[in-house]
Amino acid sequence: MLGCYDFCGHYDWTFEWLRQQGGEPLVRAYWDEAIHRDSQAHARDLILQNGIAGMKEYWGHTLDHEAAGYAITATDHAFRVDMHDCPSKGFLIRNGLAQYRDYCDHCIGWIGPLMKEAGFVIDHEHNHCGQCWWEMRRTDDATPPSAKGGLSGGQDVRLRSDWKRSGTLDVFQRATDVDDKSAAGPA
Amino acid sequence: MKLPINPGTVPPDSGPLPCSDTKPVGAADFYFAINATFRFVLRKLGADGLRRYWMEMGTHYFAPVTARWRSGGAPAIAAHWRAFFAAEPGAEVEVSQTAEVVTLDVKVCPAIKHLREHGREIVPCFCQHCHFISEAIAGPAGFTVRVSGGNGSCRQTFHRRDAQVPAQDLAQIAEVTC
Repeated sequence: MLGCYDFCGHYDWTFEWLRQQGGEPLVRAYWDEAIHRDSQAHARDLILQNGIAGMKEYWGHTLDHEAAGYAITATDHAFRVDMHDCPSKGFLIRNGLAQYRDYCDHCIGWIGPLMKEAGFVIDHEHNHCGQCWWEMRRTDDATPPSAKGGLSGGQDVRLRSDWKRSGTLDVFQRATDVDDKSAAGPA
Repeated sequence: MKLPINPGTVPPDSGPLPCSDTKPVGAADFYFAINATFRFVLRKLGADGLRRYWMEMGTHYFAPVTARWRSGGAPAIAAHWRAFFAAEPGAEVEVSQTAEVVTLDVKVCPAIKHLREHGREIVPCFCQHCHFISEAIAGPAGFTVRVSGGNGSCRQTFHRRDAQVPAQDLAQIAEVTC
């Protein structure tokens, strides 16, 4: 039986298996069709109907359930997540598992199309070490991403001394697609 | 090819499962993704593609399990499944073992239970994955598996390959009804 205890391991393996079957387009279709529109249909319903309030409800429940180390900051105009200890990427790191070229891409792979449909854009960075931040704003809100500590105060993951330990950050600006990634640059 | 992730050796001092987590049981909502993945692969690559997905996962991702079963025999298979189901939320499973045979009496399948509780449409052939993945794990370790029942409860029996048990009849694995 395929279990949920080591789900992140066979999830990562599945990305690479799909890539070998149909290239990156099949992986992207998987994140959108299977994860966004099927597996995470409950998140889709909440966020399409309730916007930022739906994000608070969905991520508050899900990240608690997965025992993540995270902080959520919500205003009337922005929703921010600071992920300090991603349970999913952390599982892979602790167990020495790495099949797909960037496991972290799966999040924006399914969240991006959902936010696009809900009328939001995403500013996001991940450091490949289980830490990342996200800010969602309405598409017609041109506010740039917050400065360090500007929205989430001392909980801002960018204030960590080890935020840049991987040497590269993947950067997304006003994105709704995994291929909106800026060229990965030095941290 | 990148997929073979492990040379198939058992690290010293390792437990019955090849991976460990900081929490005692998994997050049941991941069953949503497992079910959705089967549906996606079936839609994109057909029934043959879905079976290939299961078998290649058994061969490659679960290679460390094969290594444990090869070196530890029936006791290692039983220990694996006891630890496995202890980490699956909502599972009710009895594992019994003789020198030659390991039997899993799955009274409550945690995946089917959770999917049903949340009103999810379950892929009809969902229960076949237990046969195809376990057979791919067990075969190189000298064992073979037979599955009967399904749709929420089943029996899975691991025999030595030389026991000459009848081939798996897929008709013995029930389709899932929602």
